[in-house]
Amino acid sequence: MSELEKLKSELKTINAEYVKIKDLPPEQRGEFGREMNKKKQKILAAITAAEEALESENIEPLDISAPCAPNQPLPQLKLGSKHPLMTELDRVISIYSDMGFNVIESQQLDDEFHMFDSLNFSKGHPARDGYDTFRTEEGFIPPAHTSTMQHRALKKYRKDLDTIGQIAVVVPGRVFRNEDVDTTHEHTFYQCEGVYVSRDATMGQMFGVLKRFFELYYGQDLKIKTQPGYFPFTEPSAELLIEKPASLGGKGGDWLEMLGCGMIHPNVLEMAGIDPEIYHGFAWGGGIDRLVMLKYGLTDVRYFESGKLDFLEKF
Amino acid sequence: MLISLNEIKKYVTIPAEVSDSELIQLIGSRLVEVEEVTDLAPKYQGIYVVKVMKAEPIPDTHLNLCEIDAGAHNSEFKQLENGFVQVVCGAPNVHAGMLAVWIAPGAIVPETYGNENFRISTRKLQGYESNGMLAGADELCFDDEHKSIAEIDPKLAQPGDSFAEVFGLNDLIIDVENKSLTHRPDCFGLIGFAREVAGILGVKFQEPEWPELAAAHDLPISIKITDKDLCPRYSCAVFDVPHHERSKYLTPDDIFLAKAGMRSIDPLVDLTNILMLETGQPLHAFDYDKLIAVGGTDKPQIIVRAAADGEELQLLDGKVIKCIPEDILITSNNIPVALAGAMGGKNTEIDASTKRVILESATFSLYHLRKTQMAHAIFSEAITRFTKGQPAGMTWPVLAEAVRRLDVTPLATADDYPGETPETIVKVTVSQINDLLGTDYSVDTIKDTLENVGFKVESGAELIISVPLWRTDIHIPEDIIEEVGRLLGYDNITLELPYGPFKGTEISPMLRLKSKLRSILSDRLAMNELLTYSFVSRSLLEKVGQDPDESYQIVNSISPELQCFRQQIVPSLLDKIRENVKSGHKAFTLYEINQITNRNYGLDADGVPIVKTDLGIVSLSDFYQLKSDLFTALERGLHIDIEYAQLTPGSEAAKQYPYLEPLRSAEIFVENHRIGAFGEVKAAVKRKFKLDSTVSACEISLDDIVNQKQTLSVDVELSKFPSVERDLTLKVTADTPFGRIDTAIHSALDQEALIYSVMPVSIYQPDSESKNLSFHLKFASLDHTLNAEEITAIMDKITVATTQLGAQIV
Repeated sequence: MSELEKLKSELKTINAEYVKIKDLPPEQRGEFGREMNKKKQKILAAITAAEEALESENIEPLDISAPCAPNQPLPQLKLGSKHPLMTELDRVISIYSDMGFNVIESQQLDDEFHMFDSLNFSKGHPARDGYDTFRTEEGFIPPAHTSTMQHRALKKYRKDLDTIGQIAVVVPGRVFRNEDVDTTHEHTFYQCEGVYVSRDATMGQMFGVLKRFFELYYGQDLKIKTQPGYFPFTEPSAELLIEKPASLGGKGGDWLEMLGCGMIHPNVLEMAGIDPEIYHGFAWGGGIDRLVMLKYGLTDVRYFESGKLDFLEKF
Repeated sequence: MLISLNEIKKYVTIPAEVSDSELIQLIGSRLVEVEEVTDLAPKYQGIYVVKVMKAEPIPDTHLNLCEIDAGAHNSEFKQLENGFVQVVCGAPNVHAGMLAVWIAPGAIVPETYGNENFRISTRKLQGYESNGMLAGADELCFDDEHKSIAEIDPKLAQPGDSFAEVFGLNDLIIDVENKSLTHRPDCFGLIGFAREVAGILGVKFQEPEWPELAAAHDLPISIKITDKDLCPRYSCAVFDVPHHERSKYLTPDDIFLAKAGMRSIDPLVDLTNILMLETGQPLHAFDYDKLIAVGGTDKPQIIVRAAADGEELQLLDGKVIKCIPEDILITSNNIPVALAGAMGGKNTEIDASTKRVILESATFSLYHLRKTQMAHAIFSEAITRFTKGQPAGMTWPVLAEAVRRLDVTPLATADDYPGETPETIVKVTVSQINDLLGTDYSVDTIKDTLENVGFKVESGAELIISVPLWRTDIHIPEDIIEEVGRLLGYDNITLELPYGPFKGTEISPMLRLKSKLRSILSDRLAMNELLTYSFVSRSLLEKVGQDPDESYQIVNSISPELQCFRQQIVPSLLDKIRENVKSGHKAFTLYEINQITNRNYGLDADGVPIVKTDLGIVSLSDFYQLKSDLFTALERGLHIDIEYAQLTPGSEAAKQYPYLEPLRSAEIFVENHRIGAFGEVKAAVKRKFKLDSTVSACEISLDDIVNQKQTLSVDVELSKFPSVERDLTLKVTADTPFGRIDTAIHSALDQEALIYSVMPVSIYQPDSESKNLSFHLKFASLDHTLNAEEITAIMDKITVATTQLGAQIV
């Protein structure tokens, strides 16, 4: 007789004994009942344990390395993919949004006024050449930087200066430069612009905000440094570098050029109807493609707009 | 631009505690972006100045068997009995007694440094052992052609001297990004660059002394500038051509020029180039007598004027250009002799017959020269500088320095300076500076910083700052603030974060919609997101039946492939199918969300083309799969109630989506407004893309749905009572639209207070006459358990409703 069978027969015996309760005097019945219940519970628990032990002896192990059970169809796997540039852009937007920046979008066809004039590029200034812009027959410009939105962003949110004392906005968008395409250059790429204006905005705040952004983005403390830059729409202007973060394999001492930035030129504020005597601001703009390339160790920027599923399905 | 650190050190004493690499780091962080640093020292290691003691021709060859004296270095190599070293040399100019440059065995030929790194050894030539080689200027990277071996002036060196030490080649060359100095004409000369280096190091820059140049009028010449905006100043001096022989030696000037990436040409040109590299001020020399002959008058006048459209001029390189109206011309009594800032004319070229020279030192409108540069594709060192706007104040001092260095006596001078402007004064307070930077610099620190680089600062309640004439970029307080912040180092500014109210942030509705849609399409419906170019070819548009002329045309497109701004997303996606099929992908759905436009959309209030955002989808599947996906995305995902209708051939809607087969496509509406269309792609279009399987496509305007409230109410009420499930199959004639029966069932169920769902199960069509439509119904009451009679009554209602439409219950 197996252990389980023994227990089951014991249970039978107890159940049989139970009926004796009616033969007892009423004052003894309570005691007897409790006694019997205790015994019964014990045996029931032992039966459950014995049954489980028996069950596990009979379980057939799986080949966990196999994709499916023998003679069964493979599980259906249908995966989509999101473009890594768009995913990263969403991440960038969400960090800036959490930091308190509104988000508006750039537009892919603009004019000379927004691209240059409103940004204090004097007419015909050679600095305009640095942007290698495309042009349409009508003289419209597929913008070469998201700064093309600065004037609109300042105007759209200048009412905030009266209510909350600041303008804080970032503008992601697709931009274009007429240059030859190679592994590190694309004529079409993505940038994110940022603008902040208040009565007491300082360059120290600008570097503070940007450092904080990159720390949130890379999830670690980072060192930053600067080098001088020249943009007609900021004065002073600088380029911001970050020390290569550990998540990108940085070991300290390697610097990555991340973006251009500066204090918004008084003419730019004035053109947007903001009094530069009262308000100061800072602005910056940086590429998104570079962030993605660094993150995934990509060496060829041309994959992004290639439309190749072999590449895209990895994301 | 290449900058030699040794040249900078001639102008600024670098404190001993600042190493070269620290100095370069400071330059990089406070002056200009440093792209690359090249250490010349290893390139010239193992190269010595030697004396050729003997050079005898080897019979029947062009070679000479030479003995050289490398001084103390002789003993390091295989010596002859007389202590010298034997080298075989093929150069015609090798001769006993000369000082030559010897690349010793084991050293790398500089010309190959960094590429194949060819290391010289001891080898046999025509049976004679040759230890190393005697080098030509080209092999040392100071010339482009191989002419002969380099000869060294005995005044400069002794046999055995390190070649690098004699010529200052233990040097670091920094390549700086010109773009970051666009606004700094002064930094395009070594003096200006060095001044900045002094400023960065916090030491006062010693300004060079400029010689006096006395006016001379022994020969007739005058200048007339027609428009000071074209040419603020034009200075010149005339003198007898200096009979400076071209030195037979390799000179420090050759090396100075080579470090800047230039080459020695002849003494006069070299001098103009050297002065340009030092001061940033380009100079140009004309043949004075030719210039007068061109003008054809005994009252020669240099007239600087705008070019007439199409006016012709033959340039020094022989090319005849047709001028654009923005070009500026230097003329001799109105006959063009040079394209200002760009290149001299052939008609006044200096040649062997030249007797007198007129040397020009001028400055021109950078805006015009930029147009000149682009129109005639001239990218010289000179025009690079002119397009930064060289300061007018420097033309005369640089001309004086040229006269001094050429050691000539001017026969005539002239100087027209209509663009003279008063000294720029900028007023700024210390707190303005500190408030913008976020710093706490003292008045003394600020004053010293500015004065180190040539500003004059008068301090009081506010700083009154006189801007030096070479700082044409400084006009407003912010310009001064930048100088202070930059020279003292932005990296020394204390970081802080702005304080702001908790006000929440807005994200543009379109961005939110796109993000949500991407999650639905990629994560739920397993589609693949693509990004393709915003510009497409005319032929792509023609392939899908769109009119290329409705696209904005890019006039300077990279290629015809990228000429038109796209009107829709689908054509770009169709273009990506075949390649992916070829690389082995079988069933896939591609989508892209991006901006599109069409000239017919017109302009917005700012006068800028209206752009819209579209979702495009292409799929290697049929109409019904795409329909299911779209409904899932829009109704289940975005909760937008959409309607659809058959696309009518020839209709306006069909023309909007010319690649869709109307009979197998539908247009989509939200609240009676068409937002797009979807369906199968026409066979003719597929052929053009070399596609043979079924392809369906969808184009939806997201602008039309971005502001839609969720129009589909979500029925979240659940019944506590058991639901009834019934299968229903209805036989109908083959031409009965499915939707009619489906709608009838819904209407019947709507009449009861029920929670219900109607799921299509199958459509079975055994012949051309009829088809069976099967549904799975599920319904429940909200307040009680349905009894058998109630269930029968409900099913009867459905029967009545559908049989009225000719259906038979199967």
